[in-house]
Amino acid sequence: MPPLSAVPLASVLLLTLGAAAHGASPDAHSSDDGQWTMPSRDYAATRYSPLTDITARNAAGLHPVWSFATGVLAGHEGQPLVVGDTMYVVTPWPNVLYAFDLSKEGYPLRWKYRPDVSPNAIGVSCCDTVNRGASYADGKVVYNLLDGHTVAVDAKTGRELWNTQIADVGSGETVTMAPLVVKDRVIVGASGGEFGIYGWVKALDLKSGALVWTGRNIGPDADMLAKSGEFKPQYDSGADLGVSSWNKDGWRTGGAPVWGWMSYDPDLDLVYYGTGNAGPYNAEQRPGDNKWTASVLARRPQDGTLVWAYQFTPHDNWDFDATGAMVLADLTVAGKPVKALVHFDKNGFAYTLERATGKLLVAEPFVKVNWATSVDLKSGRPVLDPDKQTGASRGTVKGICPCLEGAVSPASPPAYSPRTHLFYTSTNNLCMDYTAVPATYLKGTPFMGINSPYMAGPGGHLGTFMAWDAATGKKVWENKEAFPNWSGALVTAGDVAFYGTLDGWFKSVDARTGKVLSKFKVGSGVVGNPMTYRAPDGKQYVAVYAGIGGDWLLLAGDFRSDDPSDVRAPADFVKDLARHTSQGGMIWIFGL
Amino acid sequence: MSVRHLTSTACSLTTAALIVCTGLSACDHRMTSQTAEPVAPPPAVADASHVAAGGLVPAGGTLTNPHQGDKAVAASGAQMFTAMNCDGCHGPGASGAVGPNLGDGRWRYGGSDAEVFQSIYYGRPKGMPAFGGALGANGVWVLVTYLRSLPPPPNIPTESWE
Repeated sequence: MPPLSAVPLASVLLLTLGAAAHGASPDAHSSDDGQWTMPSRDYAATRYSPLTDITARNAAGLHPVWSFATGVLAGHEGQPLVVGDTMYVVTPWPNVLYAFDLSKEGYPLRWKYRPDVSPNAIGVSCCDTVNRGASYADGKVVYNLLDGHTVAVDAKTGRELWNTQIADVGSGETVTMAPLVVKDRVIVGASGGEFGIYGWVKALDLKSGALVWTGRNIGPDADMLAKSGEFKPQYDSGADLGVSSWNKDGWRTGGAPVWGWMSYDPDLDLVYYGTGNAGPYNAEQRPGDNKWTASVLARRPQDGTLVWAYQFTPHDNWDFDATGAMVLADLTVAGKPVKALVHFDKNGFAYTLERATGKLLVAEPFVKVNWATSVDLKSGRPVLDPDKQTGASRGTVKGICPCLEGAVSPASPPAYSPRTHLFYTSTNNLCMDYTAVPATYLKGTPFMGINSPYMAGPGGHLGTFMAWDAATGKKVWENKEAFPNWSGALVTAGDVAFYGTLDGWFKSVDARTGKVLSKFKVGSGVVGNPMTYRAPDGKQYVAVYAGIGGDWLLLAGDFRSDDPSDVRAPADFVKDLARHTSQGGMIWIFGL
Repeated sequence: MSVRHLTSTACSLTTAALIVCTGLSACDHRMTSQTAEPVAPPPAVADASHVAAGGLVPAGGTLTNPHQGDKAVAASGAQMFTAMNCDGCHGPGASGAVGPNLGDGRWRYGGSDAEVFQSIYYGRPKGMPAFGGALGANGVWVLVTYLRSLPPPPNIPTESWE
């Protein structure tokens, strides 16, 4: 039995649908069909491809074979999809969907879809107007628009099939995450942890787009779809934890956005996702654990029933969103086989949990961490350093590691190879000072109260790309990078891992050693996620977006060249970044 | 007051346009019944500066800041800039974050007191909310006074790494 029993079934299903969409016949003889039909490639969110054309021996010959300017300058997070002989690309706002015909020379467009997306959403986006991609299912490309709509587009014709409003820009909600389609449910969530939203996930009907259920991430059990006898958090008990772990009414504007990645275990029938920070950033306005912010939640896709939850950062007072990917892998921990969930948190710990129950097995720091000394495996709680707790009455708290950009950005998902049994992830080596001030809730405006300059962590380098053993909680190798590393990871059965850097290099490395096998300057910093596919010509290719942005729009505004009325000094901690990159959304494809 | 001024200009333009439009059919009628008479000339623009290039609103003109140069008001404006969450987008000290830097001496929609007032009171495209309702005119002037008190750095368009 393969390590991830879910994958082949899902692949077969999608192969059939993909072939139906375009009459293509992806290679049915290989162990994989060469497609990439959902954001993280499989339900387990591994970003692992069984394709083997590209290997550690020949990757030095990788070179660009095609590129396309998207015409959009904002941060290009997310990844393309490949279904049959078509590549689908979603841009940042205004969220254009491109469909490229991979069967023709030069990959001309079959069509492009330009939805009417309100520019008002731009001002309600905390961190650039990014989009993290689409999902393909049942002949439809489904994705989210920044202004709070989910759309389904006919994969063959580009015609809009349905368009459902899911979020309210007026109350600070925008949508940047990539939906996950599970059976006939499209599962979506909203950004807005900086705007005091009342965070949620929703499920839409795949056929009609109709809203099926809404589950809040904070608040009363009834709103959270937490039912007595069914909701069993491993380390907590009692009713209405999403209310009792807050001051009065704090949960109503408490955040817990959903802007990262979702995964699904078909055997357990559980969808997993992480929730973002608690709001406001001045945590003294919301005493308590603030459940279930900065947590992982497990729900039934059919009706949203909450089954378990685990809070990585109780009483988040550092903006430690837990929206990073929850990767499902079958590991051997302390000699025992475990159906595990692995998560690299902004807070600097990498967690390995039992994914049926939420029981914590391993929690070890993967960068310098000093807000907590460790995580107690018995209680599931971090052991805090009292000197690194923040709040308006504490003034400026200096030298907290990691910084609020996270030990890794949740926008930069890891990959897992069942061949090496290793996880691959970008990291940031940054610390911060944190000055919290009281914040006023004004609907639709930022609800924050924070000033937080960053500085380099130990060693002076600002980021890495590393390999991690989640069974033991140990780093296996790391490549130091000059700048914080903001791309997602990809790993293949050819034992090659791929990532991009903020200064615009796209690299392939040996998955077992980290040795760089090839690199190419893609024109703009990489904040997207590499993916790989088999094209109609039978060959394996690797695609990635260039296009610096996301948080970097806020942090290093001097890399911009598009606005003559907004000039800024370079950020102290990345003085050189604009020397190496400017904006520019591009799709790159590499081949041998 | 420029708001009144603008309004009256807009009105007279609209009125003139209406006269021209309604006049056309009337003219047609008259021209068939009478000998040709010159069509009414296009409306005169009193001051060319009232037509702003590039889709910007006309200059604020005489809209005056009641607190101009008042340091105490500027200081309370700095507090308001945080309290009303302006810094959430424009960064601490208005130095820029997801919204533009407001202290660099460069302005997308003009940097006069009146133009900054307009930007805050009515909002701007692509995300600047209209704060007029929440702050009232005087509150907006307090913010304008703060922003205009920020000493713009020397305008050096060059960023060099060598």
